[in-house]
Amino acid sequence: MQLLRDLAETSGYWAAVWTMCPLGDVHVVCDAPIGCFNLVGTAVPDYTDAIPHIENLTPSVITEKEVSGTGTAPAVERTILGLQAAGTLEGKRLIVMSTAESEMIGADHTDLVRRLEPDARFYYSNSLGEDEWTGRDRVLGWLWDEYGAPAAGDIAAQKGRVTIIGPTYGCFNSPSDLHEVQRLIRGAGGTPGLAYPYGATLADTARLAEGEIVVQLYQEFGQTLATKLGKPVVQAPFGMRATDAFVREIGRLLGTSQQAEAFIRRERKTTLQTLWDLWRGPQSDWYATTTVGIVAGRSYAEGLRDFLGGELGMPVQFAIGRPRRLDEADNSAIRAMLHERAPTMLFGSINEHIYLAESGGRGTHFIPAAFPGPIVRRAVGTPFMGYRGAVYVVQEIINALYDSLFNFLPIDNHAKPASPAAKPVVSSAPSLPWQADARVRLDQVLETMPFLPRISASRELQRAAETEADKYGLAEVTVEMVEAILPAARN
Amino acid sequence: MADLIALTLTQPVQQPCKLHPQSMCPAFGALRLLTRIEGSQVAMVTDQGCLYGLTFVTHFYGSRKSLIAPSLGTAELMDGKVVEGARLAIETAAREPGVRIIPVVSLCVAETAGLPEELLPRQANGAEVILVRVPAYAIHSHPEAKDVAVQALLQRLGDHTGPREPKTVVLLGEVFPADPLAIEGLLRKMGVEATIALPGRNVEDFVRAGRAAAVAPLHPFYKLTSNLFRSWGTPVVGGAPVGVSGTFAWLRALGNTLGLDPDLVLEVANEERERAQAVVRSQTRTGNVFVTGYEGTELAYARVLVEAGFTVPYVSTSIGNDPLVLPDEMWLRAHGTQEIAYRKALEDDLQALDKYPVDFVLGTTTFAAAAKERGIPALYFTNQLASRPFFLSGGMAAIGAMVDQALGTGARYEALRSYFNEFNEEPVNALGG
Repeated sequence: MQLLRDLAETSGYWAAVWTMCPLGDVHVVCDAPIGCFNLVGTAVPDYTDAIPHIENLTPSVITEKEVSGTGTAPAVERTILGLQAAGTLEGKRLIVMSTAESEMIGADHTDLVRRLEPDARFYYSNSLGEDEWTGRDRVLGWLWDEYGAPAAGDIAAQKGRVTIIGPTYGCFNSPSDLHEVQRLIRGAGGTPGLAYPYGATLADTARLAEGEIVVQLYQEFGQTLATKLGKPVVQAPFGMRATDAFVREIGRLLGTSQQAEAFIRRERKTTLQTLWDLWRGPQSDWYATTTVGIVAGRSYAEGLRDFLGGELGMPVQFAIGRPRRLDEADNSAIRAMLHERAPTMLFGSINEHIYLAESGGRGTHFIPAAFPGPIVRRAVGTPFMGYRGAVYVVQEIINALYDSLFNFLPIDNHAKPASPAAKPVVSSAPSLPWQADARVRLDQVLETMPFLPRISASRELQRAAETEADKYGLAEVTVEMVEAILPAARN
Repeated sequence: MADLIALTLTQPVQQPCKLHPQSMCPAFGALRLLTRIEGSQVAMVTDQGCLYGLTFVTHFYGSRKSLIAPSLGTAELMDGKVVEGARLAIETAAREPGVRIIPVVSLCVAETAGLPEELLPRQANGAEVILVRVPAYAIHSHPEAKDVAVQALLQRLGDHTGPREPKTVVLLGEVFPADPLAIEGLLRKMGVEATIALPGRNVEDFVRAGRAAAVAPLHPFYKLTSNLFRSWGTPVVGGAPVGVSGTFAWLRALGNTLGLDPDLVLEVANEERERAQAVVRSQTRTGNVFVTGYEGTELAYARVLVEAGFTVPYVSTSIGNDPLVLPDEMWLRAHGTQEIAYRKALEDDLQALDKYPVDFVLGTTTFAAAAKERGIPALYFTNQLASRPFFLSGGMAAIGAMVDQALGTGARYEALRSYFNEFNEEPVNALGG
């Protein structure tokens, strides 16, 4: 049996809610206890998608009575009748879905649901068996089969139209990434079509067929739907060269290669000019010493790795994707790595942020790049994908380095208001010779620190060790003195 | 165990159908306090979706602490591997540096599959392994899960067989950090020697609590914990140091229980009453306030607001109706509150908007959003009230000032409502769907 630490991926039930509920003309009844409703419907979407709550979600409210006797059918029936009576289902299509708890007690409401609402469907979310990635993938395929394909017979592909699969709720930074990908499609000579499901309604589902080609925003899910649509599929890009290739491929598929080439030329002189300026400036001198660690969705992890590592030459200490491959570190191993030696820039979720905090994390910059974790990413100016994404990510890194520098430059203690917590002025530390093993120990400690902070930490630690040695009346700094100052230095 | 949520289609006349019950996932109440204890390494036993959601809110609102769990899918749950999984998580937890207690938090699917306590170790690597059963389907609200967790810890850790610490009081309830200090300051003047604030960050407090001379639940949902103290022969002081009359009565009851000098107690109680009355006199407060959170403390907050001069026509809470809440309910009904909803659903709160006058809402996120959509000033009860003192005269001043401030910004709520409704367009989602 496997042990999970600070789970990074949720279940098929969450995937189903996150994929269906953005479709405003759907109403979902989840066959769930109060907790599964609250977490998915209110407590978490406040902080992943910055929406007050998911309005088109209602629980059956499983209690002891349902678990230990009646089963959940009466509860589901009561809920549907209640929604009908309240008029909530007018103009909506009802979908009832299973949850982990209803699956535990074997509840299947396929027939009940059709009896109560002829147009309604029961969706088995396989919450005990599927994770959020396979879950989203299967829901998208199911939505097409149930609501799209039957109505898509008369819909012909429109010239230049590009269907986009993804995002759903719970996709990190999706408004910005979608916005940038739509811009790239226009630049390549295409017309962005339906963005499904978050930019669509259930009634729009058949319009997925309008696309001449399909762009898949995330490689983590959407493949099943893309295959069912039977159109050429292009994966949304990260970095400069992959974005060139993306624009060219769209141009080739749509027969707009000339436009695509012109767009690439223009972008290189405009949007991407920032990267060229930073490269020619002093900023890029830091790239080779700015170590990067990435834990994020598969598309983000590989995209950032290839761009920052492959194109800009930043040392990528690790890049771990979700869904995790068996040969990749799990969270326990990531935690141990970060405790041992954290990179200068850490892209990740709140889990990695916590591991960093546990170890003191001195000098490492955390950059949110994945869920879980509370963050508002609704402004469209923070893409990670495409040309603008390449610029935005590098800009974030450089600004973080500036911030590091600011925090490690000395501050004149005399300028501070008096406070008992103020550190003593260390400039009066005596200058003492160092024993060889003490020097080795200091170097070992510095070696574990990110590059920029290392410079000033080196000075601070030396002074602190010399002051400590002086306190004991020693003529030389010994390894014991280094050990003695380390706990305080880590805070 | 708490009673069933009342969910029927045959509601009393003019009562709405309760479709969307309002509570954080009950288990979160337990997790929040369990993860905050130093040296506590929680092991969760549940499915992946539940684990994700609870970890999310715990890392956001509880503590920055790594959480572990066995991977339980269909195969493990159906093949009786729950115990094996729990044991694996316990072994891993026991290897964390400095671990003293390992709360095993058993949730819906594990409780349904079955997790017999006798098959778990009582200790691992010197740490106490303590089973905390908090299935959402049986607990119903997150305040009540706090009670389950505190009771489970005390049951194992409480030292109730040794000599008592006379004049030592347990203050029971998760409160704003300055509150226990303020209460202790006052109690010491009455002759109390020490207070123990539970649940706090210190395991030792749970041990010592068993030796206390009395326990004072500050919130009305610590039913199981109060019963445990009673079974140890520890007297339970009812009420809470809330508001003018509530504080006065509570101080006297506590003094009486501990056998303190009655004259001294009366003197301290009178002084505090004067301070509280001075707070009330210092400002003339008016306005209709709804108190509609899901923390189980809503009736007490409503009392304070009424004493401060506000009108509270409607109160709702996630906890069930219970004798412990009855004094507050009776007091509120005698002071103008027209309706109190227990185990409330969103529909109860929405209906109240149409029935009673309201100038300000302290609600769940969902209901606060609904109020803001109507241009009514509203705040999320949990976040706002968790960050302010509440008890004694200082709490009264803080709460009154908060509501005053919110009422003062009332025009902004209407201005934003009107701005966003100017064109009366059909709603679309953030990405245009």
